[in-house]
Amino acid sequence: MATELPTHTTNGERNGRTGEANFTVKTGLARMLKGGVIMDVVNAEQARIAEEAGAVAVMALERVPADIRAQGGVARMSDPKMIKEIMAAVTIPVMAKARIGHFVECQILEAIGVDYIDESEVLTPADHAHHVEKHSYSVPFVCGCRNLGEALRRISEGAAMIRTKGEAGTGDVVEAVRHMRTVNAEISRASGMSDPELRILAKDIQAPYELLKETAKLGRLPVVNFAAGGVATPADAALMMQLGCDGVFVGSGIFKSGNASKRAKAIVQAVTHYNDPKVLAEVSEDLGEAMVGLNVSSMDAKDKMQGRGW
Amino acid sequence: MGSNEQAVDVTVGVLALQGAFNEHVQLLRQAAQILGKKDIAERKWTFKEVRNEAELNSCDALIIPGGESTAISLVAQRSNLLEPLRDFVKVLRKPTWGTCAGLILLAESANRTKKGGQELIGGLDVRVNRNHFGRQIESFEANLDLPFLQEADGKAFDTSQLPFRAIFIRAPVVEKLLPNVAGVQEGEAKVEDTVIAPSRVMDESVSKKIELAQVEIMATLPGRTAALKNTDTIVDPEAGDIIAVRQANVFGTSFHPELTGDPRIHVWWLEQVVKAVDERIR
Repeated sequence: MATELPTHTTNGERNGRTGEANFTVKTGLARMLKGGVIMDVVNAEQARIAEEAGAVAVMALERVPADIRAQGGVARMSDPKMIKEIMAAVTIPVMAKARIGHFVECQILEAIGVDYIDESEVLTPADHAHHVEKHSYSVPFVCGCRNLGEALRRISEGAAMIRTKGEAGTGDVVEAVRHMRTVNAEISRASGMSDPELRILAKDIQAPYELLKETAKLGRLPVVNFAAGGVATPADAALMMQLGCDGVFVGSGIFKSGNASKRAKAIVQAVTHYNDPKVLAEVSEDLGEAMVGLNVSSMDAKDKMQGRGW
Repeated sequence: MGSNEQAVDVTVGVLALQGAFNEHVQLLRQAAQILGKKDIAERKWTFKEVRNEAELNSCDALIIPGGESTAISLVAQRSNLLEPLRDFVKVLRKPTWGTCAGLILLAESANRTKKGGQELIGGLDVRVNRNHFGRQIESFEANLDLPFLQEADGKAFDTSQLPFRAIFIRAPVVEKLLPNVAGVQEGEAKVEDTVIAPSRVMDESVSKKIELAQVEIMATLPGRTAALKNTDTIVDPEAGDIIAVRQANVFGTSFHPELTGDPRIHVWWLEQVVKAVDERIR
């Protein structure tokens, strides 16, 4: 289902800085995470549960999106001490979130030695207009998107991995599906276009022409693309994989559910065997309570996180 | 082998539980094209993703890709693939190549694993050190001289002139070569924080044709560990880290040839696969 990502990332030669922290190495780790599940964790104990469940990486953050949503206030980068405890507890890669545009939080996360930074709309944005210029860091970045233009703007700033924004902390997969379908439809439209048409499209979606052209030619985003924002069940995870995602982030869906460990393992199996309904049926059995969901269609626009980021 | 011999179709699987398996499939396709042109190994190749026992059993050879070795190991266990994989590699001794996480899984011994250890497949009498160079910010690219590649097809490209651009991502290295012993690596079992693979007896029909012998060092990376900060091991800067090894049917690399677009190692490995497949039916 998923279109192949060519083994050699051409985007790197154009956009990456030379030297050891180049784009190939940054996108390389994202490729190693493919077909896997990245789980939100708020302490070392949860990180160990995630690792034992077969997570390919954990995302260290102070509160899962569902709690950020419920408690309100300004959500910021986590305490470095907590991130370091998580890094010490597991051997899989550790990611951490920085606020959109907050390049000093990114510098701090890089100094701690995290393996990936998520410049994330789940935290409260720190800049009303700018995202972080990501090329100069040795640590790679992942960023969210709702559509093709947003994805390509982030890649052009240096993101080595993309994820759908979805609507974090809701347990409602509808927005993640919307964003993935939107990206797919826009790429498919671009693939049928001539160069002059692509120039107009690049202007319309505010994306760099060269990146758009490469994407149109590949028939997919030129970097690894995960699903995120609302995945709560093994079936949700497999749905996103069948729509062409390379892997899945699960935020509140695991540790806000009845049996975190069992659900985490089930989602991991579902992402590997996403095309095998028999396996999906098996792992979906008897998982206990899923996280209490929030219906996105009845939410006010101001309560949605996906609108953050430019 | 001559081109007038009856050529046998070959099926190569790529373990697709997690990681960069599709990249290997792409490079295998490229390599097969090159081999087709060279007229030394005209075969009908099938490259397939392997997620269950039936798919594994249909393969003549297997690649275990890069990814997270803990995740691949756990998913293999829960998909009832761990024992079939041990049979494939250690009982039937079919050609198997592991890159990065794959190398870890194919080692008889590994350290710096997660708390509580992890399951290994085994097959290579080595101890690997996981995440040897450090975390992601320590990941790097390096030009390698791979002497074994010169043997490909006689007409060699000299990798000292045209080096192989290798990508190391949170990469392991082979820390120690172990003796080939009957049974488990008991000496290793006593080493603290080290996990070992269970022993399996080679199938009789295979043991007549395959000799395990000692592990062969296929490539080293000079000078990298010595340059590391925060390393508490004393290193000989001249010695270099062992980053590619072979023992009988099993080949392991700590780097990622599948991220380069350079099919030379895949070409070489498919030639080894052809030899092994022909040897088996002889």
